[in-house]
Amino acid sequence: MTKKKGANLPWIIAYMLPLAIFFFAFFIFPLAFNVYTSMMRWKGGGEMTWNNFANYGKLLQDGTFLLSMKNNVIWALSQGFIQIPLATIVALILARNPRGWKLMRTIYFLPNVISTVAIAKVWTALYNPQFGVINGILKALGLDAGRNWLGDMSTALPAIILMTVIYIGYFMIIILASIMNIPKELYEAAEIDGATKIQQEFRITIPMIRGTLATAITLAMAYGMRHFETTYLMTGGGPAYSTSTMGIALYLKMDALRYGEASAAGIILILLGTLVIVAIRRALGKSDPMTEAAQ
Amino acid sequence: MSEQRARQGVSLKAAALWFIKWFTLLFFLAIAILPFIWLVVNSFRTNLELETAPFGFPTKLSFENYRNAAVTADLARLLLNSVIVAAGSVVLNLVISSMAGFILSREKFRGRDAIFTIVTAGVLIPIISFMVPYFWMVTKLGLYDRLISLVFTYAAINIPVSVSLITTFMRAIPKELEEAATIDGCGFNQRFIKIIFPLSRSGLATAGTFCFIYAWNEFVMAMLFTSSVKSRTIQLGIRFFTSQFITDNTGMFAAIVLSIIPSVLVYAVLHDKIISGLTAGAVKG
Repeated sequence: MTKKKGANLPWIIAYMLPLAIFFFAFFIFPLAFNVYTSMMRWKGGGEMTWNNFANYGKLLQDGTFLLSMKNNVIWALSQGFIQIPLATIVALILARNPRGWKLMRTIYFLPNVISTVAIAKVWTALYNPQFGVINGILKALGLDAGRNWLGDMSTALPAIILMTVIYIGYFMIIILASIMNIPKELYEAAEIDGATKIQQEFRITIPMIRGTLATAITLAMAYGMRHFETTYLMTGGGPAYSTSTMGIALYLKMDALRYGEASAAGIILILLGTLVIVAIRRALGKSDPMTEAAQ
Repeated sequence: MSEQRARQGVSLKAAALWFIKWFTLLFFLAIAILPFIWLVVNSFRTNLELETAPFGFPTKLSFENYRNAAVTADLARLLLNSVIVAAGSVVLNLVISSMAGFILSREKFRGRDAIFTIVTAGVLIPIISFMVPYFWMVTKLGLYDRLISLVFTYAAINIPVSVSLITTFMRAIPKELEEAATIDGCGFNQRFIKIIFPLSRSGLATAGTFCFIYAWNEFVMAMLFTSSVKSRTIQLGIRFFTSQFITDNTGMFAAIVLSIIPSVLVYAVLHDKIISGLTAGAVKG
């Protein structure tokens, strides 16, 4: 610190070098490589030949890829506008510190540390038409109980989305922290003015956490756009591609050795994901999406 | 009269709100734990029992599913592979991120904030869109079907989160400590090794926990980069129960229970760190 300016530069470079190498290898280079190969005819091994955006053209005329894009939009909307409101309701209740709220907060987050594989396999069993608990409950209630939830084109997508939007832990914790940061005096003043608890939530809490809610909706939608794992494990994109997403389409193209098209699907996925982030931030009126979403 | 009715209305409304409040809380609690309790219970039952009575309890406590799963799927091997991958990626990730965090939080140079923003914005990239380049890199470097490919990849994917957490944590360490040490003749390396690194233990633990949970649970890249049992992780192993012997659900449940235990244990011990790590950003924004 008392030393001459710039004396530390070699050390700075040395300490930043591992980060630079890994960040370049796993973020910058793959992005560039993806852009490049998305314009190539390429089977994975062997030669690449320039094919002039034909990969994009093929994907955008491919009914199953369009369906996948549509499914991703449904995913994004339900994560942003079903999961986040549910998470907000629970956070509002917990912020009033009911008995056991800390323990409940810990339990709500528990599914988030358990692997997607485990959760997807358990829910596949719960949805099972013969021995599944879901049909068991419906039967006990005297309702239609013979349905093959994941095997039926009309129910597979809603069934998978339903079991993901009810795992609210992650966003609930972020929203809760934001609520608990609101100065208590605001509520005391409202109490004196005779505002009911419900009115306080709508007039104080929600407006005060607008920024956090905007971030949460943006992130939830971005995750919806990149959805892959749960669906891949539960239905593999079927039946008849009805639950396919862009990620699954990408994987299936790779599996079919259409690497150029797979790369193009990756680029479309990145572009649409970014578009969602920017558009939602615009719509919800908050600046600087990069640094905020990054945290 | 009307006043009494109004008061009655208020208390009815309060009761309704109380009911809705606890119904909501309990509903989401049930969602968060009941499926896993059902899983554990059925991991002790036979497939026949499961298929005839999904809600039942085991008739006798038998560890047969666990024994079968351990033998047929070579679970010990898969768990060991997962431990190696998770431990390796946590160490590598923390070395990279703590060195960078030290510079990004303590040194001043042009472009520092831009580097921080670009690196942390890495979380915005949908990693699954990199399946093609990652697969190409792994095969080109001769790392296909080797655990090291997963160690590198998981360590790298967690860099944005770790750098963000660790840099933020290190920024809060008072400058005076280092200044005193510099006057005492402490060099650049010693400032990092003797002062900043030890003082950042708590932040490193949070970042390391996130990396561990990610690495332990990751599935997609493990599926893409490996093919044989020698480099198969536990998450991948679970999947093989359905394709290998089609109907062994309860055997798979036993394997899932074993795969869940480490992350649940880590969470049980470190949940405060995890929750504070998640909220560090929310409080700021």
